Amino acid sequence: MTRNKTFLIVQSVFCALIAGLLAAAALQLYFDGAAKQAEGDLFYYMYTREKAGEKLLPILPLFFTALGLTLAGLILGVKDEKVEKPVRDEILLKDLGSIQNKAVHQTATQGELYARVAIITLAVCMIIAGIINGGLEDVLAKGATICTECVGLG
Amino acid sequence: MDKTMNQENRKAENKKRTTQRPGTRRLVQLYAALLYNANLKGFIDGHIYTGNLKSVCVPGFNCYSCPGAVASCPLGSLQNALNAAGHTLPWYVLGILALFGVILGRTICGWICPLGLIQELLHKIPTPKIRKSHITRKLSYLKYVFLAVFVIAIPLIYGVGKGIILPGFCKYICPAGTFEGAVGLLQNPVNATSFYQLGAVFTNKWVIMLVIGLACVFCYRCFCRFICPLGAIYGFFNRFALTGVKVNPDRCNGCGLCVMKCQMDVKHVGDHECISCGKCIDTCAQGAISLKCGKITLMGPEIGKNADPEPVIQKRKKTGRIVWGVAIAVLMFAVCWFNIIEPAIENANEPAAAIEQVTATSKPEAAGQTAAQTVPETEKQTANTTEPAETKAGEPAEQTADTTEPAEAKAGEPVEESPKAQAAAVNLPVGTEIGNLAPDFSTDLIGGGNFKLSDYRGKVVILNFWGTTCAPCVEELPYYEELKVKYPDCEILAIHAKAGAKKAEAFLADKGWDHLDFALDSKEKGVQKLLDVSEALPSTIVLNPQGVVTYKAQAPLTYEKLEALYKEALADPTGKP
Repeated sequence: MTRNKTFLIVQSVFCALIAGLLAAAALQLYFDGAAKQAEGDLFYYMYTREKAGEKLLPILPLFFTALGLTLAGLILGVKDEKVEKPVRDEILLKDLGSIQNKAVHQTATQGELYARVAIITLAVCMIIAGIINGGLEDVLAKGATICTECVGLG
Repeated sequence: MDKTMNQENRKAENKKRTTQRPGTRRLVQLYAALLYNANLKGFIDGHIYTGNLKSVCVPGFNCYSCPGAVASCPLGSLQNALNAAGHTLPWYVLGILALFGVILGRTICGWICPLGLIQELLHKIPTPKIRKSHITRKLSYLKYVFLAVFVIAIPLIYGVGKGIILPGFCKYICPAGTFEGAVGLLQNPVNATSFYQLGAVFTNKWVIMLVIGLACVFCYRCFCRFICPLGAIYGFFNRFALTGVKVNPDRCNGCGLCVMKCQMDVKHVGDHECISCGKCIDTCAQGAISLKCGKITLMGPEIGKNADPEPVIQKRKKTGRIVWGVAIAVLMFAVCWFNIIEPAIENANEPAAAIEQVTATSKPEAAGQTAAQTVPETEKQTANTTEPAETKAGEPAEQTADTTEPAEAKAGEPVEESPKAQAAAVNLPVGTEIGNLAPDFSTDLIGGGNFKLSDYRGKVVILNFWGTTCAPCVEELPYYEELKVKYPDCEILAIHAKAGAKKAEAFLADKGWDHLDFALDSKEKGVQKLLDVSEALPSTIVLNPQGVVTYKAQAPLTYEKLEALYKEALADPTGKP
């Protein structure tokens, strides 16, 4: 095994380990909290800033080590070299058949031009209709408050 | 000699091929990410931008609950619009998506999507990489399933069919929401109470975010290729898009190198999977591919046998420099506007008319002194036995610090507060933190009448901040109604956040929450700002009969929790620090 490959594998292990530890930390807080709440403690919070800090702190050295390795790898130009080579997946190539690049003309065909103009006109009309029916205000109302269920807070 | 020179030229050409284009694209990606998140002060103060620009969507994937975001996320807005499709047809968001799609197509994904940038940076981590194959090509159709189920079906079924607000993709999957929104907000100590509402949803989304992030390290743009519904939408328009990679059919020899070297699951250049990253422009030895916007060539072949002529390249570069100059000026203006100018204008127009501070009746003698420090234990015991005071609206319980006799509670008669409790309250600092005396305010009620906080001294007051677009808020309001029915002495005011307040009245019309008082906040009234309530809804403040804050948090409550909070406030005359 070359040194290059060893480096890549070590780095993979670091990444997987960090992600795994972060996931495990959250799951542990959640299950501990769920157990406490099941016991009848109404105001037991699964997560608090302090608890999150306690769980994240031990992962930090690992994170910085991985970050350092990444920077070193980027500076030294360590990478998986097969990425630069063309794909040789036989099934994929067979599936692709002949490359239909010529269908993507440099200039739009008459039909494409009509479709483009029609979509733009339709889009502008829809936007105007949306402004009239209050759709714009709905977007503002949602955007100007923190959507707790969207970001995963609640 | 010639051979050596040729080798050197080839090396230089190869270097140019591999380094030049991603550099330009990376800069554009960074620029877009910064422009979308120009509200940099949001990361420091922990609040999101709430200005009118939030009514506009950005083209790329950028969570609107990110503290830096200055505009809305198109996918979140689409789900919200579909949720509300029962009463407002989603023309606006659909129109915006169609317009972005037909002008830029999936060039958005490749050039101006912050989530795309994050994925590419993660993929830079030197690890073994998983290359595209017939399996990844099949997986690329998965994003249409996510679009159909999580973005369209769930919001429509729940919103129109059941009247429940449920943005399926945002709630269960979106890693941008977790990373930019949740982590962006939670990292700030100001939002420490936001941790209280974290539970199963957060845990699920956190794990999903980590899995997607890890997958992106090994697999190029994993989220973009297999999951992203926004990319799926823009993909429909790619064929008609004004901007995108185009092929010169006279030059293309159909060798297929462009497709085989492309990291996306394209079948041919410019198809629905193509993000117009421009890598194929340099890959094509025939110089057949270029990135165009209409007839304007944005990026053309600069190397190979069909390279554009030198004057054309020079002209393009000169134009590029001018465009960059303008773009940087726009960015500088945006950063100055959102962080300096607009806040200054807002501060100058600070609302004052409807708000009165209670400093006249309660001067803090020792600022920062907690209730526990100022109130003797005997006082707490007295308060524990006191029945809820009955005070009619409009007849404020007078605060007379020199009164020595304790008030006796008699059924049907207004009861004055315990003088010691009053005295304790008088000594408390005015503020919105637990243990502080809440600042007084007044606001008009929906359906007529006025609410003045000090009029309810002697009663437990619960202030609930909600919004019609907030699912947990709407879910918990019936609990408040139930509490009010069971404990009529408890005063509950539900204040609709200023955003979207116009539609709140119509929303409430058929709900039958007749026992609650509702008010609409506005920029002029500024109750939410006065009480320092976060933009995260629902938020609840509980005040004890002395007007002291006993609970303040951004978290949805169950009936049991609400009842416990009410009883706690009733029993505790000072508020728990």
